[in-house]
Amino acid sequence: MASTITNFKKKIYTLQEYTFMLRELFLSLKYVNKCKRDAINEMYLVGSQAFLLVLLGGAFMGIILALETGHQLDLFGAKNLVGRTVSLGMVRELGPIITGLLLAARTGAKNASEIGAMQISEQIDALRAFGTNPVLKLVMPRTIAAMVMFLPLTAVADISGILSGMVVSKLSLHIDTSFFWHSAISALLMKDIFVGFAKPILFAFFIATISCFYGFQTRGGTSALGKNTINAVVVTSLIVLVLDLIFTKVVWELL
Amino acid sequence: MIRLENVSLAFEDKVILDNISLSIKKGEIAVILGPSGAGKSSIIKIMVGLWQPDSGRVFIGNKDISKLSESEMLPLRRKMGIVFQGNALFDSLTVEENVSYFLKEHGSLKSSEINAKVSEILSFINLEGTEKICIDQLSGGMKKRVAIARALSFDPEIIFYDEPTTGLDPINAKSILDLIKRVSERGATSIAVTHILNDAVSIGDTLSVINDGTVVQTGTVQDMLASENKFVKDFFYVVYQDAALLKNKKFYK
Repeated sequence: MASTITNFKKKIYTLQEYTFMLRELFLSLKYVNKCKRDAINEMYLVGSQAFLLVLLGGAFMGIILALETGHQLDLFGAKNLVGRTVSLGMVRELGPIITGLLLAARTGAKNASEIGAMQISEQIDALRAFGTNPVLKLVMPRTIAAMVMFLPLTAVADISGILSGMVVSKLSLHIDTSFFWHSAISALLMKDIFVGFAKPILFAFFIATISCFYGFQTRGGTSALGKNTINAVVVTSLIVLVLDLIFTKVVWELL
Repeated sequence: MIRLENVSLAFEDKVILDNISLSIKKGEIAVILGPSGAGKSSIIKIMVGLWQPDSGRVFIGNKDISKLSESEMLPLRRKMGIVFQGNALFDSLTVEENVSYFLKEHGSLKSSEINAKVSEILSFINLEGTEKICIDQLSGGMKKRVAIARALSFDPEIIFYDEPTTGLDPINAKSILDLIKRVSERGATSIAVTHILNDAVSIGDTLSVINDGTVVQTGTVQDMLASENKFVKDFFYVVYQDAALLKNKKFYK
């Protein structure tokens, strides 16, 4: 019982520390100009270099969605609805989710391990000791980069998913490509696009800040670094799923 | 210059520092000496303001820094330099980039002035010509020199050394100790923590022996050698032993 209480206290303390880091991040917004160069560098690392991963992830999602729904809809003679199913599925849910999960793994692991290694080798202490705010220097550029780059990456996942769904529908289900494309595009409403593109911004913020936080929390040696990197990926992946559920539920009830 | 008054620090149930009081005069080399785990590095981190004590006060000059926020500490930190135990250099950067890193971050110097400053510091620590070498290609002794160079970049009034010779061979260790003395001659107050007795005796104007988070004795080397305190006597026993060995020339047998 005592250990359960201690563990609970530790969790609350960790949450408190994370909140302090977010407070520091928001307070540092006035100095955001200082980290422009670092942010651009991070955009290349978390954005451009993840292009192929997201492109392939989106494409495979689109193919699977088209095949699975196509065969089921065919049973009711409604395979012509595959286009709208794929486009709505990709834009509203699967595009943001697959981008979020892939980037939670890729960017989350990168942030947690980089900052964790800096923590272990006292580089974070060195930044502070020489008067540099580590949150402004390390968290701000990573958060900005993620929030800026996750949006186009989600668009890449959506488009590649719809296009690959279109190709596989043509080859496997013999659905005319122009019909698929027309039904896919006409099914999309403005609120679908809004929901689909608001999610990545939210995901990006939490993926970047939580993974950086786990990096800062690293104490000890390489095993602690490995453990915290795993924790960062697991927690950010879960957060993506939970946020997706909340966002979908709340936004669809409001809009 | 630096004063610790009744400073205590604990992490969860473990007491790190227990009611420590210390005073370090301007311009001197003060060595905090003690076994591993005695709380030496914690003292440095408290003096630099990286950690805040649970109780007690820390004065840099006349300013109590024990409760200052990070932003309030910034102007004071510009007057300090710190050499970390593991150097804490940015290993993907070159020597020049490491030394100039914080000058570029905070300084108002022009690029040409920064380059001149870096050259001057590297010349002072005898590392001319290494500007473009990446940190991971340097030896342990050279890395330590670069860490000292980085600490000197703001011409600090106070410079802290955390275990400056740990992991170095005797020749490199001696050159680092000589460098610490030369840095001190530039006018900086130096505070070094170490568990290596010979280093402490070699550079320290004053020594403070600590054990289990408390100061056991403070004074000069002579004070320590004359001490009746059992811990100090045990700790300094090796000095007598080495002296006796040298006297009897046992090393040459």
